Parts: sequence; structure tokens; C-alpha cells
Amino acid sequence: MTWPQAEILGIAALSLRIALVATAAACAIGIPAGVWLGGTAFAGKRTVLVLLNTALALPTVVVGLLIYLLLTRHGPLGALGMLFTWRAIALAEIVLAVPIAASLSAAAVQSVDPRVRRTALTLGAGRLRAAWAVAREARFALAAAVAVAFGRVLSEVGAALIVGGNIRAETRTLTTAITLATSQGNFGFAIALGLVLLALALTVNAVLQLLQGRGDA
Amino acid sequence: MPEGAGPILECRGVRQRYGKRTVLTLDDLVVGGRERLAIVGPNGAGKSTLLRILAFLETPVEGTLALAGTTVGTAAARRAARRRVTLVEQRPFLFRGPVLANVAYGLRARGLTRLEAEREARNALAQLQAQSLEHRDAAQLSGGEAQRVAVARALACAPDVLLLDEPVSGADRAAQHSLYAAIVAAQARRPMAVCVATHQLEDAYRWSDRILALHEGTPAPVTPENIFRVDLPGGGPMQQVRVGDVTFDVVSDRSGPATLAIPPEEIVLSLEPLHSSARNRVAGRVIRVAEQGAAMRVTLEGGVELVALVTRRSFEDLGLAVGRTVYASFKSVAVRVF
Repeated sequence: MTWPQAEILGIAALSLRIALVATAAACAIGIPAGVWLGGTAFAGKRTVLVLLNTALALPTVVVGLLIYLLLTRHGPLGALGMLFTWRAIALAEIVLAVPIAASLSAAAVQSVDPRVRRTALTLGAGRLRAAWAVAREARFALAAAVAVAFGRVLSEVGAALIVGGNIRAETRTLTTAITLATSQGNFGFAIALGLVLLALALTVNAVLQLLQGRGDA
Repeated sequence: MPEGAGPILECRGVRQRYGKRTVLTLDDLVVGGRERLAIVGPNGAGKSTLLRILAFLETPVEGTLALAGTTVGTAAARRAARRRVTLVEQRPFLFRGPVLANVAYGLRARGLTRLEAEREARNALAQLQAQSLEHRDAAQLSGGEAQRVAVARALACAPDVLLLDEPVSGADRAAQHSLYAAIVAAQARRPMAVCVATHQLEDAYRWSDRILALHEGTPAPVTPENIFRVDLPGGGPMQQVRVGDVTFDVVSDRSGPATLAIPPEEIVLSLEPLHSSARNRVAGRVIRVAEQGAAMRVTLEGGVELVALVTRRSFEDLGLAVGRTVYASFKSVAVRVF
């Protein structure tokens, strides 16, 4: 038993869309936060970093549950009617990916030679320009943060299942489809879907790598 | 300090600590607007820390700094001050990309357009005879080239104070001369104070108006040459103490570990042993000779290395040169004990 090709393409496209939107949003929030966190000294910084690293271990089903409670009809954001839409999945993935982007970019910035920031500052750069100089030097590690966030989001299943509901042609992603195919005993098909997922990941990472190579020239 | 130049930088009661370790104690330092100050001292003396504080990159735990008469106390004031004070680090960092973009960085940060900034950057590179490096990849430069580019990048910002940390390390002798010459020429074009941290005393003496010697984070009463760590035997004002392969007569009531310093200007050089009141005499060979204004700095080795300062005329009269055997004499009261 297999599914129509058009349906599989639709599922792959939805997975890709959610992963790209969630990664972009998570990185837009997490990377600047991480760059700030890594490059600024303040009281309690260690505690914040420990909490952030703990957030990396957040069980996806717990995040799914929290977002579910937030979006359910009687929840605080129930009026938005987002539950069981792809946007709800994207929201849950953003919550999961922000700590990844922030934590890895904080680590990336912390490992940059301290002379970079000093040099920018002594040449008259403001805080933003100096942070940009540091981020440029850490670009490989920052690109890795993007890749890891994307990988997490694309392969996540627990939260997607809870807040998306695995509704055919609506919220069925590659991972939730694999869960369904497996529960139906359709192992060959599940593996095929897994390969599609891997192919997507490979493509996106190859594009990232190409962009990095260009930046290095 | 030349006339007509008021102070540009003033430090009062500055203390810097890293953890529990005090690395700098500087009660009073005033740098004139056109002054050339050399900061000398061994590694770990606090030279780089002082430069980072003067550059407003590090805030001391105690004390105040003022730039052109105005106290710099807030983060905003430090940001503004950094537009007028630029530091070139010992191992300068160059940003990824071509040399020209590096030299233009400070000008771009000051809001100049790319074209304007690059024009100024080319001028700055020309001052350092580094025009040919313009299109080179900054990552591919040798140590000496990187140093020149970093100095050009700092000069391009037209700072009121230029701070240089060991600017000639990694550069050959000719490059060192052109580096200092470029800085002097830049100073001739516009008022600028220059503070150089160096361990090369010959450079410091030849080049600076004033020397600040640092020793374990505090200003030392003498320059760090002819300094010897000894164990005083004690037992009276007149003591004999072993230094290297020779014995010095010193006047001190102290005993135990101490530092001896013999000011180079207190040492008399002669071709024959002197029959004089000077209790200390070292026979040695001249191993280095350097000019210092109207005087000559002569370094001799005779079981211990000593630097003597003599006038150019005496130097010529004695026919001193590297390899020549001379006698260095100095009184025991000239030996400072601290």
C-alpha cells in the first residue's frame, strides 16, 4: 500500500515550509540574542547560559503540550484558531529551535578571539558594528547553529503530532506520516518517507555550505 | 612636554585587579597633547593593561581617567573617547578581507562613505610605505606587514592619542625605523600624543620625550636596566654582594632579597683602570652601542651586563666601539637598593 505521489510531494513541501519558516524565525530571534549573550558580561550570565543549555534538552512532547494548552479553544491564545494548523507546528518548532540558535551562537561568539571586539571598539565602532565584526569572525559556527536548528525542526515529531494532529493534506508532515505508516505496519513506505526527509536535509545543508564557501572567498 | 600642548590624558589613582591580583597601581599619569611617552618594563609589568585602560577598552576598578580635561566615567563617555584614542595591539588583529577594507574600517565606523574612507585609507597606507599591500588578503600578510597595516589603520582614524603595544616586534630593523618615522611624520602633520609600550630600551630612549618604567604594575624609580635581584648579606651600611660573576660594594642597612639598580648615567667608562673613589669597577667588552639624543648608550659584558650613558664626545675621544675592552666604574652610593 502506498500513497499517491502528489500527496507525498505535498507532505514533503509542508515539512520543508514549516522547517524553513521555523528555522528563519528561531534564528532571527536566537542568533542576535546569543551574540549579545556571548559578547556581554553581566551578573548572572552563567545562570542564563545554564538555563539556555537546559532548554536544549526540552522534551518535544512537553513543548507540544504547552503550545497545545496555549492554543486550545479555551486557552490564552485560543481565539487565534491556530491549533491543528501548520502555523501551530511552526510555533512549537520555533520554541524548540530558539534555545539551539541562542546557545550555539553564544558559544560561537565566546570562542572568537577577544581582540576582534577590542579592535573594532578601539577603531571607533559602536556596539552594533563591533558585534557584527565578531559575528563575521564566528560565521562558520553561526552557520552550524542554523544547520542544527534546521535539523531539529525538520526531524521533530512529538510536538508536530500534538499541535498539528497529523491531519491529511493539512498538517501531515514527513515525520508524522512516518509515524502513521509505521503504526499501519507499512515499514517499506515509512523508510521511503525517511529517505525523502534525509534528501531534504542534505539539500538544505548543501545550500548552506555553498553560501558559506562564497562568504569565505 | 613641548610648549602649547596641554594634557590630553590624565590618570589619577588608577588600580586594576584581575580577580584578587593587583596588576596595575598608577597614582598619577599625565600625557601631553604632543608627547611621546615610552612605557618600558619586563613582560607582565602591566604595560598592556595600562594601554588598554588608556584606550578606554578596560575600566579600572579604582581611579579616574580624563580625556582633554573631561572626566570619562560613563559607558557613553568611553564610547565617545574611543573615537579619539586608538590602540594598536602587540599582535594586531586584522579583519577578514583585503587590507584596504581593514584600513578603512575606522573611517567607515565614523560614517564616511566607502569612497571617502578608501581614499583616506590609501593615504594612510602610503604614510607607512604600504601602498603595495592595498589589495592583499589581510590573512596572508607577514607579521611585520600586518603590524604596518595595523598602524596605518590606526593613523587613518586621526586619533588624538595613538597607543602602540610593542609596535616593532615581528618587524626587522629597517621596518622598525620606517614605522617610527611614519609616526613622527604623522605627529608633525597634526597634534597627537603617542604612547609606546616596548621592552627595547634603545628605541624608547632614542624616540620618546619621557619614559615610564613599570615594575610589577607600579612605576619604578629607575629604568629597567642595570637591575639585579640579589640577596643582601646584611650586617652594616657597607655591604658586598655577588652579582653574576662580580662583586659590588653597596650602601644599605637592609638584608635579604633586594633589587639593585645602577643608573646608566652614574657609570664612568675608561680605557684604563681608574684610581678613584669609585669602589666598583668592572672590566668588560663593549657588546652594543646605540644613540640616544646627544649621548651614547654603551652596553658592556664583563661577567655581568652593564649599560652606561656617555656623551658623544667622550665616546669619540675614547674611540669606543663594539668589541673594545673598557672599564666601568661607579661609586657604591650610586647603587640604588629597593
